[in-house]
Amino acid sequence: MAIGDFAFLIPLLPALAFVLTFFLGKKLPNGGAIIPIAAIATSFVISLLITLNLLQNPEEVITQSYSWFALFNVGVLVDPLAAVMLTMVTFVSLLIHIYSVGYMSHDAAPSRYFAETALFTASMLSLILSDNILQLFVSWELVGLCSYLLIGFWYQKPSAATAAKKAFLTTRIGDVMFLAGIVLLFADLFTIFNGTIPAGTYILRFDEIFAHIPEIAAINANIFGMEVSHITIITLLFFGGAVGKSGQFPLHVWLPDAMEGPTTVSALIHAATMVTAGVYLVARTFPMFIAAPDSLLVVAYLGAFTAIFAATMGIVMNDLKRVLAYSTISQLGYMMLGLGVGAAIGAEAVGVSLFHLINHAFFKALLFLCAGSVIHAVGTHDMRQLGGVAKVMPITALTMIIAAFSLAGFGIPGTSIGFSGFMSKDPIIESAYLFAESSGMWLPYLFSIVAALLTSLYIFRLIFMTFFGKPRTDYGGHESPASMTIPLSILALFALVFGALTRTSFYHFLEETFTNNFVNMDIPALAEMGGYHLASHAGHEPLLILWMPLIVAVAGLLIAYLVYGLKIVNMDNLVSRNNPVYKLLYNRYYQNEIFTDFFSVKVIYEGFAFASRSVERGFDWLVNWISDITIETGESVRQFQTGVIQTYATTVVAGVGLLIILIRVIMEVI
Amino acid sequence: MIPVELYIGLAVIIFTIGLYGFMTQRSGIRMLMSVELMLNSANLNLVAFSSYNADLTGQVFALYSIALAACEAAIGFAILMAIFRMKDTINLDSFNVLRW
Repeated sequence: MAIGDFAFLIPLLPALAFVLTFFLGKKLPNGGAIIPIAAIATSFVISLLITLNLLQNPEEVITQSYSWFALFNVGVLVDPLAAVMLTMVTFVSLLIHIYSVGYMSHDAAPSRYFAETALFTASMLSLILSDNILQLFVSWELVGLCSYLLIGFWYQKPSAATAAKKAFLTTRIGDVMFLAGIVLLFADLFTIFNGTIPAGTYILRFDEIFAHIPEIAAINANIFGMEVSHITIITLLFFGGAVGKSGQFPLHVWLPDAMEGPTTVSALIHAATMVTAGVYLVARTFPMFIAAPDSLLVVAYLGAFTAIFAATMGIVMNDLKRVLAYSTISQLGYMMLGLGVGAAIGAEAVGVSLFHLINHAFFKALLFLCAGSVIHAVGTHDMRQLGGVAKVMPITALTMIIAAFSLAGFGIPGTSIGFSGFMSKDPIIESAYLFAESSGMWLPYLFSIVAALLTSLYIFRLIFMTFFGKPRTDYGGHESPASMTIPLSILALFALVFGALTRTSFYHFLEETFTNNFVNMDIPALAEMGGYHLASHAGHEPLLILWMPLIVAVAGLLIAYLVYGLKIVNMDNLVSRNNPVYKLLYNRYYQNEIFTDFFSVKVIYEGFAFASRSVERGFDWLVNWISDITIETGESVRQFQTGVIQTYATTVVAGVGLLIILIRVIMEVI
Repeated sequence: MIPVELYIGLAVIIFTIGLYGFMTQRSGIRMLMSVELMLNSANLNLVAFSSYNADLTGQVFALYSIALAACEAAIGFAILMAIFRMKDTINLDSFNVLRW
């Protein structure tokens, strides 16, 4: 049997681990952590073997489908795109689980934690493996549920419960759009088939969807007098789902609050699972996006805007984890931008974006786990109370600095020397440049360059404030146990060299995502349909453009060093309530005030309250009117009931007499 | 052969007496007796028409009706007994507790 036949075990084993840990975990040491670790380790081995197998012959993807009900199926699809995601998710999740053994050792309910993270991983793996959009959606919702459970893991804390609710409701907005997209897609496909679908054809499977892109594109809808292709509507709705899940503006508000869960959960959400699902969805349905006019432009603009928007807020946060949260949003913006510039570079965009996704997973998991290590040791995540931690925790400090360099994107352009983050972020910025050159839209490129500067600035601010200088408070602390530092070291290794080692083979591998035995897409032809002009490229960029990302990264590092390392500027003057820019950033652009206080509470809540009050009043009036009428009628009619039997008898006789007369009259008339 | 009109005339007289009694009397027993009178006038009608039409159905009906009247009388007297035990009277005017 080929290893590919075991692909279905990849999500199944963690799912089984969830059940076992949930029921037996309490009786086992460490909350039964060994069960999910073993299950995910096995999944990781299977994924790795499949990926290695697939590397040999990338055209031979694994696909298995079984009928589920009616026109739907459950199935497994492991193409290069899914394979790299599977390997990354299982790997990062495995390391996070091992790390959690140490991190959760003081917690009251480790078995619940491990059960939920196992389910979380299982849902994400099932999402990646889906060969049809419906199964993907089901897993998508399961991921949402697990994020709710894990963010609210410490549900006794009101802030955690609120954050969980917020995450669930915010992503729900996106999910509804995603579902609407699926329904519209299904309706269109049903129309295309004229309602007669041959047996064994599952119309929501990706190959069927992709095969009918031209027909879907031909269906037009009239929205406010504009002719819009259905494929544009569907892809924008899908992107709406991705916006919710991947924390893009304006649905990013839940991500920073998701910090309320254990730090390991933040690492899991921000690196391996959940937030990458949105990027994965867009990458998975990329042929649809490139065939849809303007959809990719929306993706590119929104991604670039999110990248810079979140980065500006990252600069002023004082909470260790919050800085990282905004960093995640910003980097997700980069990934979306990487997909969006597919308008200029075609199918390569998937490789560009996914490469950043994978590298980001490594260094962001590392950053969070390092932050967790610091928090675990010193018991605070306010950077203003820290400082000089590097002396106490050398391993954590070293690995975190590696991650910071990777995030900031340090490397030498044109060579394969550089941190992983450089290897993947640089191509995105270069692609944005190509996109700008071929389409004349420079905004995404400018955003991405400024965001790169800000990225470098906020992450080194974090490093200098936390690890260097003199301790600002007496926090004590000690280096974390080996179960925590070993995953850190492994991840640091990946953040250091993964990008450089796999760069060329990775792009080559992902190129086969849409040309294999499952689907065979002609991406340039689809781009033609979407009205995009693919640029012929490679190596034409001016020298300045090539070196620009590095220049801004070094500039960010220098500014951070001068301001937070040497303290040549007194930050207390700048950081004050009187500085309007600082105030705007520190209050996070007043999003909370706009979205929550104004939009949610005032407009929606008050609106609904008013509407329901009015309706209630209307119903109250009606109900009261009916009861009043009934009472009044009763009051007047009960006078007849005298209680004297003779009266009743008289009435009966009179009635019978009247009846006889009536009958007589009627008979006469007839 | 007595013509059927005479039977009907007798029945009307008995019915009217019963009705008058029912409407004027206050004593429960007298009212019950009046009801019996009305019932029997109806029976008389049934039997008269039965004989007139040479069809036995009417007479069977009359037997039914008599049996029913017996049952009714039994239940009625039982109720009156209960009323008398409670109020020491069978004057039904004093029995209007269910009236609003």
